[in-house]
Parts: sequence; structure tokens; C-alpha cells
Amino acid sequence: MTELTYLRAISDGLRTEMRDDERVLLMGEDIGVYGGAFKVTDGFIEEFGADRVMDTPLAESGIVGTAVGAAVVGLRPVCEMQFADFVSCGFDQIVNVAGKMLYRQGLPVNVTIRLPSGGGFSGGPFHSQNPEAWFMHAPGLKVVAPSTAEDAKGLIIASIRDPNPVIYMEHKNLYRRVKGEVPEGSYETPFKARVAREGTDLVVIAYGAMVHTALDATADLDGASIMVLDLRSLVPLDEDAILRAVHQCSKVVVVDEANQTCAAGAQVSALIAERGFEDLDGPIVRVASPDVPIPFSPPLEAAVLPSVERVREACRQLLEY
Amino acid sequence: MPQMGVSVAEGTIIEWRKQRGDWVQADETICEISTDKIDTEVPSPASGRLVEVLVQVGVTVDVGTTLARIATDARPGEPHSAEDERAPAPAEPPQPQPQPQAPARGPAARRYSPVVQRIADEHGVDLAEVEGTGRDGRVQKKDVLAYVQARGGGQAREPDEPAIHIESPYRPGAGTSLSGPYLPPEGRPLSRMRQMIGEHMKRSQETAATCTTWIEVDVSRVELARKQLGITALPLIARCTIGALVEFPLLNAWLEDETHTVHEQVNLGIAVSLGEDGLIVPVVRGAQDLSPEGLSRRIRDLARRARARQLSPDDVRGATFTITNPGQFGSMMATPVIAQPQVAILDVEAIIKRPVVVTDQFGEDAIAIRPMVILGLSWDHRALDGALAARFLASVKKRVEGYEA
Repeated sequence: MTELTYLRAISDGLRTEMRDDERVLLMGEDIGVYGGAFKVTDGFIEEFGADRVMDTPLAESGIVGTAVGAAVVGLRPVCEMQFADFVSCGFDQIVNVAGKMLYRQGLPVNVTIRLPSGGGFSGGPFHSQNPEAWFMHAPGLKVVAPSTAEDAKGLIIASIRDPNPVIYMEHKNLYRRVKGEVPEGSYETPFKARVAREGTDLVVIAYGAMVHTALDATADLDGASIMVLDLRSLVPLDEDAILRAVHQCSKVVVVDEANQTCAAGAQVSALIAERGFEDLDGPIVRVASPDVPIPFSPPLEAAVLPSVERVREACRQLLEY
Repeated sequence: MPQMGVSVAEGTIIEWRKQRGDWVQADETICEISTDKIDTEVPSPASGRLVEVLVQVGVTVDVGTTLARIATDARPGEPHSAEDERAPAPAEPPQPQPQPQAPARGPAARRYSPVVQRIADEHGVDLAEVEGTGRDGRVQKKDVLAYVQARGGGQAREPDEPAIHIESPYRPGAGTSLSGPYLPPEGRPLSRMRQMIGEHMKRSQETAATCTTWIEVDVSRVELARKQLGITALPLIARCTIGALVEFPLLNAWLEDETHTVHEQVNLGIAVSLGEDGLIVPVVRGAQDLSPEGLSRRIRDLARRARARQLSPDDVRGATFTITNPGQFGSMMATPVIAQPQVAILDVEAIIKRPVVVTDQFGEDAIAIRPMVILGLSWDHRALDGALAARFLASVKKRVEGYEA
């Protein structure tokens, strides 16, 4: 075990898998010579060569499209959208080509698409988004979102090995703020939820950066025993873990950093309403960003993204209900 | 009604394992049926809620008849028809504890969340008695749980007082057993399995000219061998019997009206008791090719499946010779009934240690203690004579007494 930052854990995962499996190659803007916009792939081109660490033109549809072609002939490409916000340029290639090729032509498409996502550092509307819901909605794709360093490494390795197209949401604001013990060598994290903290009075369901917000908000809340469930995998959604948590706690707060309408949390809420109704002791409460572009201005951004205080207050209200 | 074998045309429902309104899982047993040859469980073809039972217990219908309807779009957690009609359970108010004053409540307090209602229901709690600590005095999950805890666990759903043991002489108000009129017990029809067995036995006795011949056999060597192999004596005796059948194939035959068929393959029927329900005879096909260990394994598997009611109709068909072995209770001899259309059946009774006369190589006689068994062969005089039956038994005896592993 070593202590690594979330970012170093992703690098470690990529490097480990690239050493183990020569079919794995990386594609993205500035990932080669520059080592990546955030330095995730620093040193990679020196170790693996330009054949396997490809600097691409600024063309997301081309990056994804080429990756799909590579996957179809048996390679395992991991392509990066420099910021998750730019994925919309590659949307067609992901949703209509990668996502449906198995269904249409029987060809599995083993691509991993890394999306550095999320805000909280004045990135502004084009560098702060959380677009996972777009891809949860498209059949044929898997979507994962680690919140810890250990899961970041385990999930990137698992995503590369999964024969489906996997959207890997890496939260930029966690890159250097979150550190953790990471096992050495190769391991996979399952596409299932994780209980970040056990509890009985109420459960906060979150993923990505919001797991840390939830843990902070509920560490010491009027003595209540509050569970925090880290989803880790959005597609497939760990329905059993969610329903079990609801059965145990009966009060639920679902947190999304993404814009509220049809966010991942909306799907979680619908699931609970449909199948966990008998276990509820209060309405399902959601805390999410309002449906606005994420502001650049620091005080505005702080007002928009779910803060520790907002989550805490939502929990307090529901506990009293 | 499923088709449980190539020639089965109808079946009878003997038990419904699920009632109307129950949830049933795909492949879970939904009912038990009886066909000409076998009783068996029927797995549900789908998951869902059983909404209608169309064929009642005891009724016989053709294969293909619809037996029940399952709503496959239902979900397990949904309340079903029986629950809909049930009113919330009234409480037994706790006597020794002081009643808490119900605080003044707003309109929200009268609404109870699903989980609160479920818990109240499970524990027989009257929610009007429960103090609510939620907003506007609302009863929360923890409130009703605390109420149940404070009240003490034991009062939830008291089981009914068990009836006084009816054989006790201390029945209140009863006189001695001699007083009062004698009421004869009520007769009931026999179970379907019992009836089928009875018909088969009767038919056999009316068809065949059944005679029984016995022979005494020293099973010392078989006892030794079976201990070494870790099996019972039955497979070893079966192996010897099969050897004798190969030598005397006329015993391994069918007589159906005028047609006499001598079989090469030995399909050995082994009678398995199903306790008071009856018996069944599963078949070891191609037994002539099996070693004693192989026979033992096959017999054990068939017996296990027979007792678990997991035999298929093909498991009980096609026997060319039957062995029955009820000896574990100590009985010595029997007159078994031949299983139609076979021509013979071998009965193996208890192995009992007895003093017997043995002659040594010098012609001197002595008494020795030996484990002995009496083999009884019932045979059909229409197909063979006593002399052949005796020679067959002698062959079995020779093989058993000379058994070498």
C-alpha cells in the first residue's frame, strides 16, 4: 500500500494496465509530449512510446471514432476528453457508434473514455460540468465515478478490462485534494456501490466529489447516525445497495453536483420511489445544482454547487420530519 | 397440465403448494400432480402472482389443460388481494404501563409513513398510542420502534395457546373412557398413490400364475466384501442376481398377454419404500454393465430421488427384473408380487446370524455361526416352471456364496 493522490492513483492504474496488456493505448489532446493537461500521463510517452501514447488533434469525434475503430480490431484504447465539457463534440461517436455497435453488428467495442469533470475551482461553464446523465441515458454504455484514490485506480483498470464502452468520470477537484492508501500492483474495483460510512437514521447517496461533501456535512449532525453511500457505478446502478440502505435508514438525501433535472440522482430517486416505498419514513430529498451553467465567479459558483452547509441543512430537516 | 413422459395423457392435481394471491418464483414448485406412473412436483413456468386456480385438488385433466393463471407483471412487494382486505391490526393495549398522554397534533400527525405502518402492523401497535417526535407531532419510524421496545417484545402476535394434549386423562370435564357412546372412526379414501399400488398388485395377482420358491444363502463372503467396499449387501446380491439372469435369460423376460419377450439387457427395478405413502420402483438401466460399486451408486441416487419425489416417469419404466429388499426390519421370508409384465421378482429379507452345519474337506460336519439370508423368488408359472426357478436360485446362491471381489 502507498499513499497516493487521486490523480496519481489514476496514473498508476493506467501505467499498471499498460504494462500488463500491450493492447492498451492512450489517445487524447496533449497527453503525450506534454504529459496531459493535469499531468495524469506524465512520463508515459517516454515509457510506452508514441505508438501507445498518442497526441491527437483537437477533435473529439475523431478521437472517439478512431478509438472505436481500434477497439473493433482488438486493441483497448483509453481516450481522454481533455475536459468532460468537450465530450459533446464526440457525442455521436459515443452514443450512436460505440454504444450501439454490439447491438447492431455484434462487435464489442472495448473503449474507455476518461472525462475529467466537475467544478469548484472557478473553471467556468465550459470546464466545470458533470455530463454523466447524458451517457446514463444512452443504452450500451457503462458509467463509473470513483471518489477515492483506491477506487480511482481499481475502477480505471476494471473499466479498461470491461468489454463494453465505459465512461470514466474523474473529478478534477479531487485530483490533488484527495489522498488515500492505494494497493500496489493490479486490482479491479467492482462496478458496485460502497458504504463510505455506516448509519441508521438517514442515508446520503452520492458519488464523485459529493461523497466528500456528504461525509463532511454529516460527520457531526446533532448526534444522528448517518450513512453515506458512494455509488461508484452509475451504470450499472447498484440497486440492491441502494434499496438495502433505504430499508435500513428509511430517510434518504440524494446529492448531485450535476444540474438537477434528470441527473443521476433523479434515477436513484425514481428507483427508491418505485421499489423502496414501503421503507420510507419521509419524502426523498434531493440536493443538486440548479439548472444553470456553472458560474465562473467564485461566490456565484459556491452558491450553485451543493455545499457542505446545504447538504447538512437538508439532512437536518429530514431528520426532524 | 405438463406432459411428464412420452405416453402420459393426463394428470391429477394432488396438492397446490401456492394459494391464490401468493407470489411464486419461476421454477419454484407450484403444485404436485399424479400421473399413471409417478407423483411429481411441477415447477412454475414464470415468476409472478398466482391470480387464479382453475383445477382443484383431486381433479384429473388432460395434458395441456390450463391449471392456473399467474400475473407476470406483478412485483413481489406489492400487497396482494388478501392483504387489501385486511384492516390495520388492532392493538392489545399494555395494561401495567401508564398510558402516555397523546400530545396535541396537527393534521400532519394523522398521516403515517409506509414504514411506520408496516412496523405498527408487524407488532400489533395502535398508532394512536404512539407519541410522535417528528414535525407537528408526526410519528417517526424511531418513535414506533421505541414504543415497541418500551412495551416489551413479548406481546407481539402471541401464538395461540396450544391445545391440551388430547390423550391426557386429565381432560377437563371428561369422564372415564368407558362412559359415553362409542363413535366409530370416519373412513376416508386411500391416497392416490396407495390406490395405484393396490390396482397394480391386484392386476398382477389376477394375471400371473404366481408361485414362490425360497433358498437359503450364506452371505459371509458378501458381508466381508461389502465392508471392504463401504456399501450395503444389496448391490453385491444384485450383481450376483444379474450374473444369474445372464445365465438364465428366461427369468429376464416380459409376458404381455400372449407375447413373450426375452431381454438381453437387464433393467433392474429396485423397490424403494416411501414410508407410509407407499413404494415406488425406479429402474437401473443396463445393470449388466455395472460393477457392484456402480450399482451401489446408481441405487443410492435413485432411492434419494425417489424419496424426494424427483423421479421422472422414464425412471420407473422398462424394468425387466425386480429386486425388493425390505430386510432391515428383521423379517425372514415373504411372497412378493411380480411387477407386470415381468415374469419374476426376487425378495431379499433380513441377514440373520444362525448356527448352520458346515462340512470340512475331510467330510467332517461341524456347527458354525454364519450370516444367512433367505432369498424368495416369486415367478410366473405361465412363463416358466419350478425347476427353472430353482436352478436360477441355485445359481444366485452359488455366486453369492462364492463371491470374490
